[in-house]
Amino acid sequence: MTDPEKYARADEDILKAMEKPGRAYLLGLGVTASLAVGGGLLWAYQIRNGLGVAGYTHPVNWAVYITNFVFWVGIAHSGTLISAVLYLFHARYRTSFNRPAEAMTVFALMVAGLFPLIHLGRSWVFYYLIPYPTERQLWVNFRSPLIWDVFAVGTYFTVSAVFFYVGMIPDLAIARRRREGIRKTIYAVLSLGWRGTGRQWRHYNMLYLFLASFATPLVASVHSVVSWDFAMSLLPGWHTTIFAPYFVAGAIFSGTAMVITLVVPMRKTFNLYRYITDDHFESIAKILLLTSLIVSYAYVIEFGLAWYSGNIFETELFRYRALGHYKVFFWIMVACNSIIPLTLFAMRLRRNIPYLLIVSLLVNVGMWLERFVIIVSSLSRDYDPYAWNALIYRPTYVEVGITLGAFGMFFMLYLLFVKTLPLLSISEIKEHL
Amino acid sequence: MNRRSFLRFLGWISGSTVMTACGKRDSRPKLTSYLLPPEEGIVPGEARYLPTTCTECPAGCGGLAKLREGRPVKLEGIPGHPVSDGGLCVRGQSSLYRLYHPERLRSPMVRNGGKHQRMTWEKAFSLAAEALKESRERGHRNFFLSGRTTGTLSALIDTFCGRLGILRLPEFEVYAHSAVKEANGLLFGKRDVPHYRIEEADFLLTVGADILETHVTPVAYTRKISRAKSRGDFLWFHVEPHFSLTGANADRRFAVAPGGERYLLAFLLREVVEKRASKSRPPREFMDVFPPSPAEEVSRSAGIPVEALREIGDRLVAAKRPLVIVGGVSAAHQGGLEAAVSAALMQWATGAIPERVDFARSENYRSVGTFRDVEELSARMGRGEAGVVFLLRTNPVFSLPQRFAFRENLKKAKLSVGMGDFLDETLREADLVLPLSHSLESWGDAEPRRGVVSLLQPMLPPLHDTLSDGDALLGLLRKASGEGPAGSYKNHLFEAWGKRLGDSGRSKLLEQGYVEATPPGKAIPPNWKKAASVLKDTGPAGEVAKPVLVLASSLRTFDGRSRSLPLLSEIPDPLTTITYGPWISVTPDMAKRSGLEDGDEVTIASSDWKVVLPVKVQPYLPEGVFVVHRDALESPPVRMQARTGEPVEYIEGVSFAKTGRQAALPILSGSFSQQGRGIIPDPAHLDESRRHKRWTLYPEHEHKDYRWGMAIDLDLCNGCSACVAACHVENNVPAAGKADHLKGREMSWLRIEPFYEKGEVEFLPMLCQHCDNAPCETVCPVFAAYHNPEGLNVQVYARCVGTRYCSNNCPYKVRRFNWRQHGWPEPQRLMLNPDVNAREVGVMEKCTFCIQRIRAAKDKAKDESRKVRDGEFTTACAQSCPTGALVFGNLLDAESRVSRLARSGRAYRVFESIGTEPSIHYLRGKHPGRKT
Amino acid sequence: MRRTIVILAALGYFGASLLLVAGFGYLWHRTDPAPEQPIAFPHTVHAGNLRMPCTFCHVFAELSRHAGAPPVQKCMDCHRAIATDREEIRKLTRHYEEKRPIEWKRVYAVPDFIYFSHKRHLRAGLECSTCHGDVAGMKRVRRVSNLVMGWCVSCHRARKAPLDCPTCHK
Repeated sequence: MTDPEKYARADEDILKAMEKPGRAYLLGLGVTASLAVGGGLLWAYQIRNGLGVAGYTHPVNWAVYITNFVFWVGIAHSGTLISAVLYLFHARYRTSFNRPAEAMTVFALMVAGLFPLIHLGRSWVFYYLIPYPTERQLWVNFRSPLIWDVFAVGTYFTVSAVFFYVGMIPDLAIARRRREGIRKTIYAVLSLGWRGTGRQWRHYNMLYLFLASFATPLVASVHSVVSWDFAMSLLPGWHTTIFAPYFVAGAIFSGTAMVITLVVPMRKTFNLYRYITDDHFESIAKILLLTSLIVSYAYVIEFGLAWYSGNIFETELFRYRALGHYKVFFWIMVACNSIIPLTLFAMRLRRNIPYLLIVSLLVNVGMWLERFVIIVSSLSRDYDPYAWNALIYRPTYVEVGITLGAFGMFFMLYLLFVKTLPLLSISEIKEHL
Repeated sequence: MNRRSFLRFLGWISGSTVMTACGKRDSRPKLTSYLLPPEEGIVPGEARYLPTTCTECPAGCGGLAKLREGRPVKLEGIPGHPVSDGGLCVRGQSSLYRLYHPERLRSPMVRNGGKHQRMTWEKAFSLAAEALKESRERGHRNFFLSGRTTGTLSALIDTFCGRLGILRLPEFEVYAHSAVKEANGLLFGKRDVPHYRIEEADFLLTVGADILETHVTPVAYTRKISRAKSRGDFLWFHVEPHFSLTGANADRRFAVAPGGERYLLAFLLREVVEKRASKSRPPREFMDVFPPSPAEEVSRSAGIPVEALREIGDRLVAAKRPLVIVGGVSAAHQGGLEAAVSAALMQWATGAIPERVDFARSENYRSVGTFRDVEELSARMGRGEAGVVFLLRTNPVFSLPQRFAFRENLKKAKLSVGMGDFLDETLREADLVLPLSHSLESWGDAEPRRGVVSLLQPMLPPLHDTLSDGDALLGLLRKASGEGPAGSYKNHLFEAWGKRLGDSGRSKLLEQGYVEATPPGKAIPPNWKKAASVLKDTGPAGEVAKPVLVLASSLRTFDGRSRSLPLLSEIPDPLTTITYGPWISVTPDMAKRSGLEDGDEVTIASSDWKVVLPVKVQPYLPEGVFVVHRDALESPPVRMQARTGEPVEYIEGVSFAKTGRQAALPILSGSFSQQGRGIIPDPAHLDESRRHKRWTLYPEHEHKDYRWGMAIDLDLCNGCSACVAACHVENNVPAAGKADHLKGREMSWLRIEPFYEKGEVEFLPMLCQHCDNAPCETVCPVFAAYHNPEGLNVQVYARCVGTRYCSNNCPYKVRRFNWRQHGWPEPQRLMLNPDVNAREVGVMEKCTFCIQRIRAAKDKAKDESRKVRDGEFTTACAQSCPTGALVFGNLLDAESRVSRLARSGRAYRVFESIGTEPSIHYLRGKHPGRKT
Repeated sequence: MRRTIVILAALGYFGASLLLVAGFGYLWHRTDPAPEQPIAFPHTVHAGNLRMPCTFCHVFAELSRHAGAPPVQKCMDCHRAIATDREEIRKLTRHYEEKRPIEWKRVYAVPDFIYFSHKRHLRAGLECSTCHGDVAGMKRVRRVSNLVMGWCVSCHRARKAPLDCPTCHK
């Protein structure tokens, strides 16, 4: 096959995904949309009646909502790793995951950004958190890690969204060329009049490189800042220097797993085997394995530091984490995050796509539980034993509903993305065909 | 889109944005003017203080009511008051909730069928007068039963009963101290409870008397103990069959078998008379009859090891000014009279009378009767003798055992008139219910002990259609007799005061709230014949069948009378930290043997009675004993001491079975052990921690004029929780309720943490430490928590967005979050302190060191162009503390009390190693100078 | 060139709208109409012509945190005899005789969670007109300051008064 034919076929194959949706798709969209709307209604109920409708029990003041926040921000990191960091490393295998990963980043950040609002006691004055000159002559407390979050996640979202959009411009032009009617107009507007001239390609590559370089440090910094929500406190189990690299590695770990979860069914549904091969998956699986090892190392270090320090606050907390009220979650977490991914040392298993899908789902569960265990166990057992939580924290239907709503919103956005925007990076794939 | 549609679109957007600014502006708040200018000295917006007396329990402590906008919003102790000397207990602080309780009786009612119907006072008086007339004609007897009543009201009741032909019965109190009174009556001819001057003693031995909780006048005793401790040579031993707050705070506690106190006291009496060098010795006739008490035998009967017997005996013999007090559960058993007689003889033999045991200033329990008197009343009503029965502020239906059949027999009276403020168990059975005003709405007086007259005056007009006790009686008297003293009870009182105290005495009473006459005391030799007749057979009687269920008095509700106050259920019981719900305390061994955990339900039964209660494991409780607070049981099947009429406050030989269910029992403490964290450190470690210098990156705070701090003396704090109640009332802290407590969402800013260690319980009041390097301040994203220039950690409610990071970062976990909008049902809204913001949902709150008081004090000082002086004002908690454990002041002033205490060798700070630099210094180890 | 003009015009339009909205917010209170009071009390006559000092009627302004409205008796002290033929005075007299205090409509109100002490401000040397405007010239009192936090803070900053939050926040 000649090059132009190959290119034309690539265009067609990938844009075919944007055709009329089938029943399964509509069912999926319906379910996710209802979950999202349900979550929204529950949030309204919570605002009306106060955070008491959630399962918080003093001193567990942070639980499911912050777990969700960290979880979704973490997931976003992998997308940027694949699109920005791997770009800088000239990793060829990134091109097939590139677009879905970036989309995942943007949507994950949209979902994550809601949770700081959801967990506020007085959500209606959320604007107190935004640093703008007020008539009250008051600024925000720049020393607080929560404000760093505002900057970090805000910056990350802005940069990721711009990166996502800018990277898509040539593909939107392809879509413009191959579609008719109202869609053509929309893609025309979105592609900003891209003509594919040499000059434009030169500018595009410069901008893409710039944005990739700008986004790369964010991969390390944003989740470090989010981890400092915990590390900057004085709670045993939170106040430890390993948190920044631990959380960043964990973020990439869970994000990679989410990429696999998204791309495996996507490849099957839209018949993209030519463009997303088993080799690509094997490379992603290697990233999964590497980050799992880093996370396991961090677990060991945490326990090791606590034991070595002899500090009774620390030792008691870590004993509680492994053997206390939440030990079931702790051990599931260890199994999912540390033990099961070790099987990926076997090449056969790395190339076994159904197995990868299962592992990625387990990793997602494990990583969600990891944040939950860190937050809830440290809050339950800190310094003053009188304040130790004799009650086990149990999320109520409101928290469960909002969590499911978040997942619903994410997958709904992803499903919408799949049908409306080019779901793979056509131009980059064509470069390596 | 073309230009036209674009412009149209733009117009829509701009227009609708501007429209959102529209709104109604007619809903303005109002500014109401006075009609007449306020009286001289009253400034709107400023607080006014008027003295009165707390009536929540019979002790009669003086209370200073703080009035804002013409209503009381806070009660505090009156400094210098002869009973309470500035302290006010947890019940006294909570009594404001009684005034504003939504369920208070609002108008007179008559029972029609099963329901109560409202009526006017006129009609109610007519009804009662009619019934009295009828009863006279039919030859029935009329009865008047009240709780302990003193002062002018008691005299009025006498007049009332005399003029209308009503038999006034001895007053009914559950804690009537009948055994002690009988003993004193037999021996000294004074049937009363004497005034115990504990502050003069160097060795105090209390047997059963819960002097810190409910015994006679707990605030006074607490204050006396603090004073005694400060002298340096004070030692306190407590003996009891169960485990109480009083026992937890004594220097040494000994467990005695229930009913075994009489043997112990007989043994000690013999030790005292034989070994003490004293001029006063009992006569031969007595010593011949007085049976010997060999130590081994006594040890067996009393269940106390021989070494302990010897130790107590030796101390008693060696002490220069010992004082023995028996009472409570230890006088309320079959051998109670013997125990009380032995104790009284010891008081005489150690020369305590009259220096430390003062009958001249006795506690005015003479007119209080016994259970026998009420039993007789019930029997007479049962025989159909009763015409009209008046019940004034008493709840016999709740407190008396079933077999007295008081409820059934009351129905047989022609007309029962109940006078009180709540529809409690007794008033629900009454035919005619007359609602009485709260003491804060009434004129009156009280004589808590002989020689003391304490004022009651109204702070606001009655909230509901109620009358004060005196006015109700006067109205009834006038209606029923057709004549009678004209004028209100206030006139009656003023006249009576004028006669008794003279004009100047009356003015003094009105101004400071009390007057005290000082009658001289004298030594009274005991009646040895009677003593011998009581003590001659202290031979080993039958043992009490174990296991025993002890009915303890409740710090929070006295004998159950304060159950209806929500704040008292909100504040945890200091030993168990249980808030809502009754429970039964069991020993750890029993719990282990039966596989019981906190909250498991058990059925406790005796021959004809049973009750189902959840369990709480109580460390240090002696074996074979269960404890239940009296307010948990309606009509407990107590037996009665034949001779004295004292109820036997325990039930023997109870059976015990698990129901298999779990009850939701809110236990606030997460751990009763310090877990090795040195929260209350071993005094030996104190020096070490003070030498530890810390390197910090935090800059030093600059304080200009004031740096507020607090010193808390753990040797004085006894866990009574008066400070907790004071804080709730002062700062509009809501009572969260049981559902919230079960989720750990209590709102209390100050809590008492009990830590059990090595046989001792220590109480640590934990509140916001106002740390210099506060971990909460750095993490609040909006500066709602910040450090002010006077050293306070301030919480700005209007700014708080509710991220709760501050609470996460607080190692002391003193910050409370409003998980829901707490309501104040009418008329409780009137109780809110207008100087403190009532917080809305989603906002974090915590102790502010009563910043409203700081602001008021600085305002006053600025008016006078000076700085605030030490002791000029204090926080609500420190003010109410009956022991004086909490001291608040300016740490910049080197001469202030708090600075001197903070510099003392006993001072330490909790979790100092974290580096938070708290402003609260705790004082550990025995009070300075205590050699023992 | 044309493009520049178009861009400038667009920016100008949006800038103008922004200024309009901001101006509205800032100066809205000046459009606040003076409410109609139950008795049409004219400060122009009393504080203006008769030059009565504010604290003659508003006695508690110097003594308490609340300035308040004068008690009805204060008015009757003069109006027992003065201008008794006027309708408003008759209204006033009826209030006094029927023992009904007058319910004025508040012009200046700070929220419940704010502690504001008139006494401290007067004793600091502030004139009433600093915050309340030229009341002596108002037939009907209307609000001249928007009482937002920044307004209080800027004056505190300028006059070196305490800026500590609990100074005002209860």
